[in-house]
Amino acid sequence: MGKCMQGYLDEQFMELEELQDDVNPNFVEEVATLYFKDSARLINSIDQALERGSFDFNRLDNYMHQFKGSSTSIGASKVKTECTMFREYCRMGNAEGCLRTFQQVKKEHATLRKKLEHYFQLARQAGPKETARRSK
Amino acid sequence: MTVEQDCVALDQFPVGMRVLAVDDDQTCLRILESLLHRCQYHVTTTNQAQKALELLRENKNKFDLVISDVDMPDMDGFKLLELVGLEMDLPVIMLSAHSDPKYVMKGVTHGACDYLLKPVRIEELKNIWQHVVRSRFDKNRGSNNGDKKDGSGNNEGVANSDPNNGRANRKRKDQYNEDEDEERDDNDDPSSQKKPRVVWTVELHKKFVAAVNQLGFEKAMPKKILDLMNVEKLTRENVASHLQKFRLYLKRISGNQQAIMANSDLHFLQMSNGLDGFHHRPIPVGSGQFHGGAAAAGMRPFSPNGILGRLNTPSGIGGVRNNLSSPSSGMFLQNPTDLGKFHHVSSLPLNHIDGGNILQGLPMPLEFDQLQTNNNKSIIAGNSMAFPSFPTQQSSLPNNNNHLVLEGHPQASPSAFPGHQINKRLEHWSNAVSSSSSTLPPAQNSNSIIIGHQFDVSPLPHSKPDSLEWNTQNASSSYSIPFFYYDSSQMRQSGNYGPTTDAMLSSNPKEGFIVGQQKLQSGFMGAEAGSLDDIVNSTMKQEQSQGDLSEGDLGYGGFSSLRTCL
Repeated sequence: MGKCMQGYLDEQFMELEELQDDVNPNFVEEVATLYFKDSARLINSIDQALERGSFDFNRLDNYMHQFKGSSTSIGASKVKTECTMFREYCRMGNAEGCLRTFQQVKKEHATLRKKLEHYFQLARQAGPKETARRSK
Repeated sequence: MTVEQDCVALDQFPVGMRVLAVDDDQTCLRILESLLHRCQYHVTTTNQAQKALELLRENKNKFDLVISDVDMPDMDGFKLLELVGLEMDLPVIMLSAHSDPKYVMKGVTHGACDYLLKPVRIEELKNIWQHVVRSRFDKNRGSNNGDKKDGSGNNEGVANSDPNNGRANRKRKDQYNEDEDEERDDNDDPSSQKKPRVVWTVELHKKFVAAVNQLGFEKAMPKKILDLMNVEKLTRENVASHLQKFRLYLKRISGNQQAIMANSDLHFLQMSNGLDGFHHRPIPVGSGQFHGGAAAAGMRPFSPNGILGRLNTPSGIGGVRNNLSSPSSGMFLQNPTDLGKFHHVSSLPLNHIDGGNILQGLPMPLEFDQLQTNNNKSIIAGNSMAFPSFPTQQSSLPNNNNHLVLEGHPQASPSAFPGHQINKRLEHWSNAVSSSSSTLPPAQNSNSIIIGHQFDVSPLPHSKPDSLEWNTQNASSSYSIPFFYYDSSQMRQSGNYGPTTDAMLSSNPKEGFIVGQQKLQSGFMGAEAGSLDDIVNSTMKQEQSQGDLSEGDLGYGGFSSLRTCL
């Protein structure tokens, strides 16, 4: 992971890269794809819930718990941080805080997505084995 | 340990260990799968708990270990955990992003053998195979020596520590001991036959009781009993179920001396019929010999009250002197919750037989409350706790006469049992017990009581039919096991029969517990209330993990031998 990824992805991501091998040559990308698919769905659900304005904090917290879970498993550190904040606001029942934080969540999420796409692209160009290398 | 050979990759364990991974989060699941592959396990994944259960039920021996997330939309991970522990006895590892200790606690109390926090690291997964080995080892140990092992007891209590390995072990043992089994069967009762379905014949019941006695009431757990019994094709669930019934039966006896007195082969059955509150599930008894009711009653959730009540009947108590050949055949009180409730069955009206304290100290489920705290995995039925011979002094019983005083605390906490059903059962039981527990009138004719019925337990309608083979068969093959072995000479002996009575008696005629023989194994002799408690507690703990009670079905089908501890 190069400098561009610094801060966006943590050791967990490196663990995933470790798991990539000949048997699973595109493991990281596969996982990332799954993640973005899942998380897009969750983001949508949260968006809708927030738009409704009903602010069912429990429900929001549940969504976010899931979202945070997968973000953690992929090593998306910034996204994870924002998720944690969102959950805090949920717990406090702070609607405005939730809305604000959620925008951050989405932003980080989108940024990460772009970066990873770019990363995988480079990896593909470099050759499958290269992507398993930690250092870029 | 050759045990491993049974599982998975034979000889290569832990390589090839078969893991079932469950997580609704696809990302996490994919990662987990990859991590597990990296550990060289054989992995099956599913993102639905329901599907996981299906896979497990389809073939219990297909997996060695289950790893499951806690938060899943279609089913709570804890619930899955309970079910797996109960039905399949596999070790289950919980996964969660929640590090909150209360979740961890919940995991443990529901039987998880480990709780991992997400994101899971490979290092943590590299050692999970130890859980599989441990449970097998424990099972092996238990079956090998039949000794009470504190360790094993604990392990079992550890929740799901009895993995399917146990099953595998059992199979292996059965294979090894096939001859032995044959002999045993033949020797004991020519009529008993090994059948594909578990039918609790007199013969089988004898073995059962012997195993229970050998293990010691408190330590008698279905797995161990199963191992000791060494009967081919008998599963832990069968044993657990039977144990429960037995207990219920005993309870019933105590509470219904009249019934006991009624000499009839169906005494057991009758008793079961009489059991109140035990009809949670019609237990299909195979042969029509016993009249239903009994079986059902027996099987049902062990309502402590019911059983205890039975125990209280002087007739039952007095009459039942178990003469379990093994030292500790007692009945089991396995329900943890039941245990709590049953406080001392001790004052079994032993009437006559030994001064009336046959069932003293029946190790009835004492302290359910206690049990509950034990976390239960319902011990019910899993352990055949041999009732410790009840010390005549019923210390635990408030009333020291020779009456069996069953104190059920109908407080089985539902959460204790997986599916909560057990709890309910226990409650019933305890209720029954308390209601029936009045002092047992000293049975004057203790000897006459005893329920020497042969139970023909054909597959007891176990709550989980699928888990119990025998349930599926009604009355097909059944070995009738003399439910009660009445041996006045041994009445006071240790064999404690837990209040299986009710459980044993399957209310369903099909189930047929037939209590043929008049031998009563008085497990409950000597009120050892204290010990009973221990037994109960220990059994409960242990059983918890074993959770034989399949969901909500405390009754075990095919209560093969009702030994009435009279």
